[in-house]
Amino acid sequence: MASLQLLPINPSSLHTSSPLLPILNPHKTLTPKKLKKTLPPLQSVIQWNRKPQLTGETPRIIVITSGKGGVGKTTTTANVGLSLARLNFSVVAIDADVGLRNLDLLLGLENRVNYTAIEVLNGDCRLDQALVRDKRWSNFELLCISKPRSKLPLGFGGKALIWLVDALKSRPEGSPDFILIDCPAGIDAGFITAITPANEAVLVTTPDITSLRDADRVTGLLECDGIKDIKMIVNRVRTDLIRGEDMMSVLDVQEMLGLALLGVIPEDSEVIRSTNRGYPLVLNKPPTLAGLAFEQAAWRLVEQDSMKAVMVEEEPKKRGFFSFFGG
Amino acid sequence: MVSISTDFSILGFQSISPQPVICNVKHRISINAIKFQMEVRFNSTNLKWNRKNLRRMFSVRAAENSENSNEKRVREQIEMEGRADPEKMFSRMRESINALPPIILTMKRSTGTNFAIGLFIAISMVVIVVREISVRKTRYNQRGSVVDLVKRGQLRSDRRGISRPLKYDDPFNNPLVKVGKGNSTVEMCGKVYRLAPVTLTEDQQSVHQKRRSRAYQWKRPTVFLKEGDAIPPDVDPDTIRWIPANHPFATTVTDIDENLAQNNVYQKDGVPFRIKAEHDALQRKLEALQSEQKLNKMAIDPSSIREFERPFKSFSKAQEQVEQNQNSANHQGSHINTSKSDAELDSFENNATSEELKKP
Repeated sequence: MASLQLLPINPSSLHTSSPLLPILNPHKTLTPKKLKKTLPPLQSVIQWNRKPQLTGETPRIIVITSGKGGVGKTTTTANVGLSLARLNFSVVAIDADVGLRNLDLLLGLENRVNYTAIEVLNGDCRLDQALVRDKRWSNFELLCISKPRSKLPLGFGGKALIWLVDALKSRPEGSPDFILIDCPAGIDAGFITAITPANEAVLVTTPDITSLRDADRVTGLLECDGIKDIKMIVNRVRTDLIRGEDMMSVLDVQEMLGLALLGVIPEDSEVIRSTNRGYPLVLNKPPTLAGLAFEQAAWRLVEQDSMKAVMVEEEPKKRGFFSFFGG
Repeated sequence: MVSISTDFSILGFQSISPQPVICNVKHRISINAIKFQMEVRFNSTNLKWNRKNLRRMFSVRAAENSENSNEKRVREQIEMEGRADPEKMFSRMRESINALPPIILTMKRSTGTNFAIGLFIAISMVVIVVREISVRKTRYNQRGSVVDLVKRGQLRSDRRGISRPLKYDDPFNNPLVKVGKGNSTVEMCGKVYRLAPVTLTEDQQSVHQKRRSRAYQWKRPTVFLKEGDAIPPDVDPDTIRWIPANHPFATTVTDIDENLAQNNVYQKDGVPFRIKAEHDALQRKLEALQSEQKLNKMAIDPSSIREFERPFKSFSKAQEQVEQNQNSANHQGSHINTSKSDAELDSFENNATSEELKKP
């Protein structure tokens, strides 16, 4: 255990402890000689036999935004956050929606939120008392900004969030690896508050023209505020509609926005069921397609990678001569 | 072949006619028979038949075939009047005539089915073509499709469908995922997918960034003013925001001091500030109350009051004292217990006196 603590990010040392990795290399064991070995160069092509390697400056402060409401920001925050926690990274998710709080509902933690960031600012509790630790994955914590009836002063919000992030960095148990900020919809005070401490952004959009226009505006504002590392997740994708040319394809979306692709999430009815249960999608066994897509997006987020190809549904192969007759 | 068959039909009709006509018909038969024999010879090379085999076949057929009476009569007449011809020619003619009926009969039998087969194939081809055309038409005439976006200028039409399929090796060895060999198709969950590579280049990304920087000019607001406030000097006007008085998020005076709030956030351990402040305030209040009680006790002699007080008043006063003591006991420690016990003793005493007073 001491060797693990010394090298927490070494993927070979955490190889056997990760629950996701399949038992494909039984001969690999923890030995001092292997720990001293230099790591091979990073290759993102095959991803199933190693843990993702954390890149970039920690903590990675990422804001998840969209502009348009209802496209899946909170769902993305919850699922990507838990996927990161499952990959043994420490994650703090902040619900920055002042007034309309719902990240706790998606995670099933609504009964455990006693204190919020407003109480911390007022001095009613400490920051560690306001953090709600998930019992399923203890390295995932939730912080809500406010209770529905309270409000944050207008010019105060951005600074408060910066203080919170700084306090999280300097806490005794160590800085978290990821701080995910769930941004509210729109481009007003809540949005400005949420993007203040962020270094990176994940833009969630759907393949429809209204969402894309708002996403373009939000991207422009993020770039004006100094956030250049912006990646895109296209949510609620219907491959059958894309095949029938009723919906824009993911490549069309990318052509319009000009952003790197972090993930493509297919439309899945399991999202609604998981919201009802308070059990995020990525924890389902067996995993659904959307859950797998979220996991892959989390993987790419860790390694600051983007998608190089997308899956396009094709016509199924017609078998037999008689299929021409309308079969 | 057709000419021979027609001649034969003429022959059939003319068999009833008088004899001179038969002679002419004979000549016609002989000439046609020779022609037919020539054709058969040519055909035999294609069918890989020898002349000998052909003659044998014809002779066998002639023997087996059941002929009608007219044909028999014709043959007999030819035999009778053909004695003058050389034997070879006669034998050849005979064989050829005998060979004619089987072929003609089979042709007559197969024309009906051939016609049906040809008609079926033609109808099926027409159906296929019509169906393909109708499907293509409906595909392009659907309202609300991506074609409308192209028409509106939101999407570029020339960039659609130009990507080449990417060759992808499947490392998962998953039996549910079937990768097509040769083409880059993957069959998964009952659907067939193709890998389309991403076509966004860095130049295109920079073009989009420049477009957005021109379109969206925005600076983070740092100064928030309400109506009537003066604009501070040396402040970029783009960073000023005016908040109307009736705005739900407007706060004229912040309830929390910024420095205090910052210290609250950075606090790692100990009691939070407000809790501690409330606790201190309550502590001070209790101490003040206690000091007041002591003063009250020293100034007033409770024994002298008892004779003149009504039982109701003394009882109510005792209750108040007990309640106060109970409240203070919740907040403070051991020194409260002594006062409580004193109060209890007092209350017991008061009760006793009240009971004594009640008794007649």
